[in-house]
Amino acid sequence: MVNINFTVNGKPYEISIDENMRLIDVLRDELGLIGTKEGCGEGECGACTIIMDGETVNSCLVMGFQADGSNIVTIEGLEKDGQLHPVQRAYMEAGAVQCGFCIPGMVLSTKALLDKNPSPSDEEIREGISGNLCRCTGYNKMLIATKKAIEYMKGE
Amino acid sequence: MKKRGIGVGLSFYGTGYGNGFPDISRAIVRLLPGGRIGIYCGVTEVGQGAKTAMIQIGAETLGVTEKDIDLIHEDTSLMPDSGTAAATRQTYNTGNAIKVACQNMREKLFEKAKVELGLNSTAGLALEKGEVVLSFFPQKRISFKRLSEIYKDETIEAEGEFVAQTTTMDPDTGQGAPYWPYTFNACAVEVEVDMNTGIVNLLRAVFAQDAGRAVNPHLLEGQMDGGFAMALGYTLFEDLKLENGVIKNNRFSKYLIPTAMDMIDVENIIIEDPENTAPYGAKGIGEPVMIPIAPAILNAIYNAIGIRITELPVTPEKLMKAIREAEVNN
Ligand code: FES
Ligand code: FES
Repeated sequence: MVNINFTVNGKPYEISIDENMRLIDVLRDELGLIGTKEGCGEGECGACTIIMDGETVNSCLVMGFQADGSNIVTIEGLEKDGQLHPVQRAYMEAGAVQCGFCIPGMVLSTKALLDKNPSPSDEEIREGISGNLCRCTGYNKMLIATKKAIEYMKGE
Repeated sequence: MKKRGIGVGLSFYGTGYGNGFPDISRAIVRLLPGGRIGIYCGVTEVGQGAKTAMIQIGAETLGVTEKDIDLIHEDTSLMPDSGTAAATRQTYNTGNAIKVACQNMREKLFEKAKVELGLNSTAGLALEKGEVVLSFFPQKRISFKRLSEIYKDETIEAEGEFVAQTTTMDPDTGQGAPYWPYTFNACAVEVEVDMNTGIVNLLRAVFAQDAGRAVNPHLLEGQMDGGFAMALGYTLFEDLKLENGVIKNNRFSKYLIPTAMDMIDVENIIIEDPENTAPYGAKGIGEPVMIPIAPAILNAIYNAIGIRITELPVTPEKLMKAIREAEVNN
């Protein structure tokens, strides 16, 4: 077992975990944050995307102990005071969600993209979410959603 | 060297189980406390938007808004079965069952209103924004909410069933009309073929889909985009390698599906030509949206380089081989 200290969605945690535990399992099984999904378990699909110290990572490829000292945002951490994050709202309104499995990761990748580049081109949006596979939507409504989110974030 | 070409693909698709197979959907509609409407129906939501579309059909038939309806679904211990969310059948089949159930519910509500309003008959009654109203004397009206309070110890409910009409094909000749209704679509694409690498790039796409009537145009476009992307994958790179029933490339690193960078903007055109046996004219489009894409891409490749490809996926290796062979033969 190892002890880790980290912040998840603004809340500090000190927990003891198995050395072999992946970060996705720490989040899902230890903290109960099941919004983070496991698709492939090998870094190819992006369903397990989280934001760690400002960067998106595949939480299936990070060991739990590597999260020691880090600041993590999962999909559960986007909502503020019962209000959806502009990216979440835009996804909903644009009809960018079908089965929903890719959506937590997709929304976090979109947020991370907009945090770094508040007015991306279409190509940059496509590139920004290209690590997240979606089998349902054909991605185009996600482009529309991202542009809506940009507008919402400007208005904030 | 890169060469460009344009191709068109057309398809028509029979929805439902077809071929005389029993294809039945059922629904129950119930007046809930507070005057809300409960639709109990085995319709399955897998992201295609069935839940939204079914609520819309119910709301339309009962003269209420989508927000006044609770859809209780996906649990056949609580509701009748409505068959599978497959065969592009939910909008048409289950939509019809919900429409019939809601129409029957109207009659139930009219009967209760007749009693409460002291009327001679149900003639001239209509549903309007959650109320039963006598159309030629609208002062005579009673809300669903009031009815739910008066009849709180009695369940006001109605059932609906829709059995699709299909006929069996002649087993000897394979002739007949196995499906009803059909849905139609057309897709045109422009591609660019790299003669040195065999890579096919999509430049433009226009996609027209007949939906009978678009219950929810927004969700319909989502289905069209999704079908296009899935078909793009299976035309250009998805290659399932089976060996003795075992999938050899069961990894996303070995079995590629389109990413956002492989997809292009598709100009979607929704064609509305209401089908008279369908709920408000609406037909399913779930599967057909995938069908015309591959032929359009293959025709565009032919138009660009004069080579007919007859096996999918058109991987760069396969296309390079075909290009080399064509060079040798010329
Ligand atoms: S589950 Fe982590 S990338 Fe697929
Ligand atoms: S919405 Fe189903 S995988 Fe993206």
